[in-house]
Amino acid sequence: MIHIRDQERVSSVTAAGQAIALEAQNLQIFYGPFQAVKNVNLAFQRNRITALIGPSGCGKSTVLRCFNRMNDLIPTARVEGAVLYRGKNIYDEDVDPVEVRRQIGMVFQKPNPFPKSIYENVAWGARINGYKGNMDELVESSLRQAALWGEVKDKLDQSGLSLSGGQQQRLCIARTIAIRPEIILMDEPASALDPIATLRIEELIQTLKADYTIVIVTHNMQQAARASDFTAFFSVDENRTGYLVEYGPTRNLFTNPENELTEQYITGRFG
Amino acid sequence: MTEYNSQNYPEGEALRAQIGRRHRAGLAGRLLFQFATIVGILTLLALLYNILNQTFGYAAVENEVDPAYLVREYEKGQMLAAAALSSEDDARLAAAVADDPSGVALFSYSAYLPRSGALRPLAMDGVQPGEAGYPINRPLFLYSAVQVAQEKPQVAAFVHYYLAHAEEAGAEVGVFPADPEAVEATRASWLGALGLSELPAVNPADYGGVIRIVGSSSLLPLTRRIAEMFVADGFTGAIRLESSGSNAGFEQLCVRQSADINQASRPMTRPEAEICRENRRQPLVVRVANDALSVVVNAENEFAREISREGLQRLFTTAENWADVEGSWPAAPVNRYIPGRASGTLDSFADAVLEETLAELPQEALTNILRAHISRGLGRRLEREQRFDERVLVFDSVESYRAACAGEAAPEGCTAPPRSQNNVYNLVLDWVVRPNVVQTWSLVDSLFNRREVAAEIAERFPEAQMEFRTWLTADFVTSPQAAEPEIAGVRTALLGSLWTIAITILFSFPIGVGAAIYLEEYARESAVNRVIQTNINNLAGVPSIIYGMLGLAIFVRLLVTITSGAAFGAVEEGTTANGRTILSAGLTLGLLILPIIIINAQEAIRAVPNSLRMASYGLGATKWQTVWSHVLPNALPGILTGTILAMSRAIGETAPLVVIGASTFITADPQGPFSKFTTLPIQIYQWTSRPQAEFRNIAGAAIIVLLALLLSLNATAVVLRNRFSRNLT
Repeated sequence: MIHIRDQERVSSVTAAGQAIALEAQNLQIFYGPFQAVKNVNLAFQRNRITALIGPSGCGKSTVLRCFNRMNDLIPTARVEGAVLYRGKNIYDEDVDPVEVRRQIGMVFQKPNPFPKSIYENVAWGARINGYKGNMDELVESSLRQAALWGEVKDKLDQSGLSLSGGQQQRLCIARTIAIRPEIILMDEPASALDPIATLRIEELIQTLKADYTIVIVTHNMQQAARASDFTAFFSVDENRTGYLVEYGPTRNLFTNPENELTEQYITGRFG
Repeated sequence: MTEYNSQNYPEGEALRAQIGRRHRAGLAGRLLFQFATIVGILTLLALLYNILNQTFGYAAVENEVDPAYLVREYEKGQMLAAAALSSEDDARLAAAVADDPSGVALFSYSAYLPRSGALRPLAMDGVQPGEAGYPINRPLFLYSAVQVAQEKPQVAAFVHYYLAHAEEAGAEVGVFPADPEAVEATRASWLGALGLSELPAVNPADYGGVIRIVGSSSLLPLTRRIAEMFVADGFTGAIRLESSGSNAGFEQLCVRQSADINQASRPMTRPEAEICRENRRQPLVVRVANDALSVVVNAENEFAREISREGLQRLFTTAENWADVEGSWPAAPVNRYIPGRASGTLDSFADAVLEETLAELPQEALTNILRAHISRGLGRRLEREQRFDERVLVFDSVESYRAACAGEAAPEGCTAPPRSQNNVYNLVLDWVVRPNVVQTWSLVDSLFNRREVAAEIAERFPEAQMEFRTWLTADFVTSPQAAEPEIAGVRTALLGSLWTIAITILFSFPIGVGAAIYLEEYARESAVNRVIQTNINNLAGVPSIIYGMLGLAIFVRLLVTITSGAAFGAVEEGTTANGRTILSAGLTLGLLILPIIIINAQEAIRAVPNSLRMASYGLGATKWQTVWSHVLPNALPGILTGTILAMSRAIGETAPLVVIGASTFITADPQGPFSKFTTLPIQIYQWTSRPQAEFRNIAGAAIIVLLALLLSLNATAVVLRNRFSRNLT
């Protein structure tokens, strides 16, 4: 089992002594002339689950995709501000987005396994990233970590697409943790799944917390309340630009929100 | 709510009527589509009907020289060369074998009978001469004419008497009764022509006058015996009996009209019958007997009593001693006594026992046939194209051949390996047999008007044989192009098509897919790229002949050193096709289908879900890894579909290849990308534009070959595609 990296890699430490895995400083995101997100300042604590919530169109997914430069793939997208990872802005000229994505993995809203065998789904990412160890062991440990091993161990050569939706999503998680990233970004990972599969994913996320820093976007406030340690609430202004309203420990934010908008949102009065 | 409904939407009856109208509108559309589909299917059927109608059907074929004659002459030559004695006189042969214990002879059974003590005939496969199933019988006929029988009642009376007594007299002289059915058939037509219903009883004493009988010596003993009986029974006139041979007999009967009856050992040929009719002699024939050709050995020969057909073949051709014929026989030398070349007996024997066909003759025999039938000049030309024999010059003199080979432009025959047996056989067909299809009939006529076709052939082409011709044969596919439609094939064109399409695909598939990947995955949205995209879309609609002119200008003219192979030293200067090569053709067709491949590949790449790319990037893959491992495999089935379409188009293209200069007549297989070429569509185009009808028949066959090629290439691509798509699910 590969354990999380040692202390010296940690980019910054909060006053309380908590290690910070990733920090957004004054983040602004534009699509062409349209500003999608403004002035986001956020620091994600290591080995914690941070949920990003907010009404539709508030830019929470956009923000998430900024953290491993997936927005680069949208031709018109532009990012200002800084995302600090290990003390370096991942948007600096000399940073290769491939290297960023190697350390900051991503699980998408809709399960998207490769149309290859289950084994190959897990092994492919490891192989292209130059994994030198025993591939069979890596595939097994990754599938075990993703709580999928028992269900697929007898059909590793079957297509990843032959699995059910929940299994596919866990396969995608196994695929991501196979390359041992430091941070896993999850973009509404359970929104396309039924309640039972959702519950399994949530349980899985809880167990992964020990090894990874997890940032999860969710529409489901119960999920955020249940599964996360910290919650960031986003909203939109009159220009349809998203902004961060409130960020804090989940319990505080849900029981004692500082901002009126937050309270209205979590009590279901809008969004 | 109710009010709103009732105001704005039909209800009840009106609703049902409205729904009915919508159904009927759909029905009209459906009928239209059905009609269009049916029209399409009918068009396809009409196309198939046309092709099949041309490709199969009866043909009247006239050979300039009968191949059976060539084979028979060869076989006779072989037998005569091996013979110790050959003579037209059966008695001499009988005498010779009677004196030679290790001799064997071949003659009529009637010649054996007088010497039956010193000789013994061999049974053939267990059958004695004269018994049913004896394989080498010769039919014997009496020929006369309706006019003769009417003018001279004694002639008809003699023939009727002959028929009544043939069996009885034949037993005495050693001639066997003919197959009763054959006798009955000729007898019925004879009686019918004379207006008789049954054979009349004849009293020779009622007749007088002269009966003149000529013809084959084979029938002479029997006729002589019957003539004696006829006279003994009271015939008051005279019978003149003369042995002149069957051929001369027909002439005497019909042309000179100096004979009343011709006793023939072969049936009258069609031209002979024609001549008779022209001379107001309507021929009449009766089959009277069978002459069993006997293989006779000396009575002292103890071992040979029976022989098989194969043994007989060896006995009269290759065997040096008796042991070569049957392993159990002694190794005494074989002395053969056979009839001479002019005798019909040898012909019958060769036809019945030696069953070789022209295609099976040894190469040397075929070469000899050529030498006997073609001019020395033509032979020299063929020999300079390719030699007949490695060591010996067949047509050319040593001096002139050396001179030709020493010259600047030495002919190919100086270096090429000698011709094969099959090659020489084709030359014999080409220059000696010269089969000539004088007319062909469509498949429909052949199937439903067979009788009319047969009658027409009999009337208009009496020399011709009626053959059901399948113009699409294995030979057609494997033979090279030729000037005669009977022996022309599509091998040259088929190989040309395969070479061309291979180069086309090798050129346009990687470039087309590469361009599509660049445009879809790498190129940024810019004015330049939009112009490129628009151009590609438009290029897909440019008429193919324009590509031909492009190919002519660029590949044939400008890049001649590359496309002729000169740049690679592949071809010597001066003997090249000057850029009009397979390579030029392949590249031109490649340009033609490039836009189709690009556009289809772009569509396929665009159809790959973006989530796959995201998944790949999310794992830290580079762009190239994403494209290579995910985009391309997922787009491949679509790309292959486009490639199949493009390939189908390229394989059927004619116009651009005509422009860049496909060879109009080429018999040599393409050797590589720098060879001259022709392709199937070009071949079809050229054949359909020829005036002779037979070329249209082989064009039909070539179309079927083209369709088969197209379907098999497509099937390969479809199988590949399905395999790729199966891997993806």
